[in-house]
Amino acid sequence: MKTKLAFALVAIVIAWGLKRHYADARPDDLSWILGPTARLVSATTGETFVLQTGEGYFSRERLFLIEKACAGVNFMIAAFAMLVVALFHRVESRVEAMRVLGASLLASYSAAVLVNTVRISIAMWLASHPAALSAFSAADVHRIEGITVYFAGLVLLHELVRRFEGRVAAFGTEARSAEVAS
Amino acid sequence: MTGPFRTSVGHAFGRTAMPLAAYYGVTLALPLANGAGRSGTAFVQHAVIVLAVPPLLVLLICAIHAMGQAAARFARSSPSSRGASSISRARDVQHLAPGGST
Repeated sequence: MKTKLAFALVAIVIAWGLKRHYADARPDDLSWILGPTARLVSATTGETFVLQTGEGYFSRERLFLIEKACAGVNFMIAAFAMLVVALFHRVESRVEAMRVLGASLLASYSAAVLVNTVRISIAMWLASHPAALSAFSAADVHRIEGITVYFAGLVLLHELVRRFEGRVAAFGTEARSAEVAS
Repeated sequence: MTGPFRTSVGHAFGRTAMPLAAYYGVTLALPLANGAGRSGTAFVQHAVIVLAVPPLLVLLICAIHAMGQAAARFARSSPSSRGASSISRARDVQHLAPGGST
């Protein structure tokens, strides 16, 4: 019980710390997430993004800026919180608690970079095809696209964790029955 | 809404409850706790879109899934039923033909 309580507290502190860091950070302070995202967007779209000090990553050809608001830190916090809750039942010891926290942080960071890359790549495509959804304003399209991609990303991540949990459970059952048989 | 579709929608909302809660928590609960509600209509507009889009997406995906399943059922049943009806029609023709076996 104590371990679970401590785990929950540490997870809340991490999420709160991320939120505070994001609120106070300048774009240059977010290079740990903006940098990999900009590189992946470059690889996906073929556009070159250059670091502009104090602004973010800028594509001169497309006049597109990956700025602080595009960092995906809020998605990372949502994914981290979701994973911590989904894997809470696994926390039986301190070692397990550390593992779950580490895995949740790593998975939420990777998912944030990947999902954000998808979101920005789609946003760039939509920006160059303004007639695709002409019934909405550009800001509305950008917002709806962001909500759709982020929510779908969370659902996919949750499904991945569920499947992984199912496989781990099946492997455990197999190992136990093999032990009993031998 | 048909029974199976309603069941599948309920199932989909059950499966997406945790991602939905996490998303609403970060996009609505945290900003509200930080006083975003005081910004008035801008936040209300944002909240309405954030609240509406994910459930609509779930419904849309359920509808596409249901249509896909219906199309698959139709594709599975059509050739056999068509085959069966053509066989029975061939038998009928045989029965009716003057030189038929019966």
